[in-house]
Amino acid sequence: MTTGVPLSPGGKNYAPVRPTFFVLALLIPVVLLLAIAIGAVSLPVKDTLLALFGASSDAQTQAIVTRIRVPRALLAALVGALLGISGAATQGLFRNPLADPSLIGVTGGAVFGASLAIVIGGSAMAGMVSFAGLSVVAFGAFLGGGLAVILVYRLATTVHGTSVTTMLLAGIAITALAGSFSNFLEFIASNDMLRRISLWKMGGLDGATAARVWIAVVACMFTLGLLPRFAQALNALLLGESEARHLGIDVARVKRGLILLVAVAVGTSVALAGTIAFVGLIVPHIMRLIIGPDHRRLLWASALAGAILLPLADTFARVVLAPTELPVGMITAAIGAPFFIILLRNRPDHGR
Amino acid sequence: MTSSLHDLSALHTVGMLLVILCLSNIARAEPIEVVDFLGREVILQSPAKRVIALAPHIVENVYSAGAGDKLVGVVSYSNFPVEAKAIPVVGGYKSYSVETIIALQPDLILMWASGNGDKALQHLTALGFTVYVDELSSLEDIAHFVHDIGLMTGAETVANARVDEYLHTLSALRSKYSHREPVSVFYQVWNEPLQTINGEHVINDVINLCGGKNIFADAAVLAPKINLESVIVANPRAIVASGMDEARPEWLDDWRQWPQLQAVQRGHVYFIPPDVLQRHSFRLLEGAQQMCQQFANIRRQAE
Repeated sequence: MTTGVPLSPGGKNYAPVRPTFFVLALLIPVVLLLAIAIGAVSLPVKDTLLALFGASSDAQTQAIVTRIRVPRALLAALVGALLGISGAATQGLFRNPLADPSLIGVTGGAVFGASLAIVIGGSAMAGMVSFAGLSVVAFGAFLGGGLAVILVYRLATTVHGTSVTTMLLAGIAITALAGSFSNFLEFIASNDMLRRISLWKMGGLDGATAARVWIAVVACMFTLGLLPRFAQALNALLLGESEARHLGIDVARVKRGLILLVAVAVGTSVALAGTIAFVGLIVPHIMRLIIGPDHRRLLWASALAGAILLPLADTFARVVLAPTELPVGMITAAIGAPFFIILLRNRPDHGR
Repeated sequence: MTSSLHDLSALHTVGMLLVILCLSNIARAEPIEVVDFLGREVILQSPAKRVIALAPHIVENVYSAGAGDKLVGVVSYSNFPVEAKAIPVVGGYKSYSVETIIALQPDLILMWASGNGDKALQHLTALGFTVYVDELSSLEDIAHFVHDIGLMTGAETVANARVDEYLHTLSALRSKYSHREPVSVFYQVWNEPLQTINGEHVINDVINLCGGKNIFADAAVLAPKINLESVIVANPRAIVASGMDEARPEWLDDWRQWPQLQAVQRGHVYFIPPDVLQRHSFRLLEGAQQMCQQFANIRRQAE
């Protein structure tokens, strides 16, 4: 394992890169097939497979597979990838293991935007037409998330550049402020609105449609296409900002680019699937423990792992209490946390 | 000095008067004893004159009992009947001001178990208030509640007459519709997330009253988020929704994407305004009448 940048003290034993990526890449179709084969309604496996190729003899099976399960499985994988890679980038940028995309205010802003849309939308915007399969609430979430990040970024930027520490603190402040506004909205909301806000906050992929999958595809192409270009810069940033600058990295530009990409990625995923906790925080940690902190691998590995965890969790959420659905965020934590704990305990330097 | 002495003696007189009043009351009337929906005994020495209702549906039921003039405090969204809008608001059903409640000096507080919560009940009883808690889960519960309000506010005559009328209409609807050929129904609370109600909900009672069968009556929770594919497979004969406003929710039209559903094919996707179906009050009968009519149409068309 040779890398240009010294990665960690003590040279840990990480899993070999190629086999790891091979396994991850193999697991994605397996999980997707599982998500398509299992659901609230049990369909014959053969029919389900035929339906994938549009050849099922049963119209109902065909419709359930192609119009409900496939879009949902794909949306889960795409959103999982967006959250995974954004989490890895945020942790790298902030050099903080507790950083997750919600830290820069995206989630708090999105919740506020969505709550506002629900409370006002209850009456004033009831007649408003949704656009491209996205509801007014989703737009509210995207706008709220985006505005929060812009605000956080501006607060932390002076003529001397952007301070990551200030951004962290500003992110906390903006999240708190947005949270208090959201609480106020919940305070004045009627019983129905309140229930809707809380359901929305729990996240959900049940609104998956072909249109949303396409939006997620575009967001993924944008994010997965551009974020890995910052891998070397993120590696250099691990050494510290001035060291990175000495290595010839335009730190201000890197920060701006990363923040923009993360904001778009997380804003889109929140608009499409609500707030899904945990994936952006733990997936990068899991992958860092497995293949090491080199961002040239970590970013991709986190994207792939996110694309595995979320469809898997969503499948559980759909079938455990079928036909009732559980909030997917509950399941991502229930599957991911024990796995993470096992990895932590088995670290080579555990108990150091 | 003399004036304060004078005050004291005035106080003394008032105190004596109060004692006499109390004694005469005890002599005149038995204390009113009712059991609320949590099984708590509620005892009033005399009919309540200052009532606070901590949920919009309770306000409606107080008016149904003919005791609307006894209301001194309500919560926000208490918009029916219109007279209720003029009553002082003590806050929201989850966020009312205890100070305002104390200042209004109620002799009876009517609470909603699942809405106001246990803590609120403990708090208000600890302050010494007389509290009656409702938890209405059937159409009969509403009659029972209105009857109790009548008892507690001394409005039995009006209340009992209204209750009898309500129960009469109810049993007329029941005997007319509940034994007809069953119609499978999907009641849609909201579209995203797709939410319905299970068998514990009052709306399920209305569905049964009209001879319908809620396809998710067995679901695990009261208002479950459910999977679209299970609706497709259940293929209900009717889809009914209320939404949040007076207007038909636009998302009801989304069902057109599923023409294989018999409800969609035959145009049995219905709207019933939330105010007559989601409030636990006598107005539910209006909603029930609409729903029974809709199901009757479906049966007629099938013949």
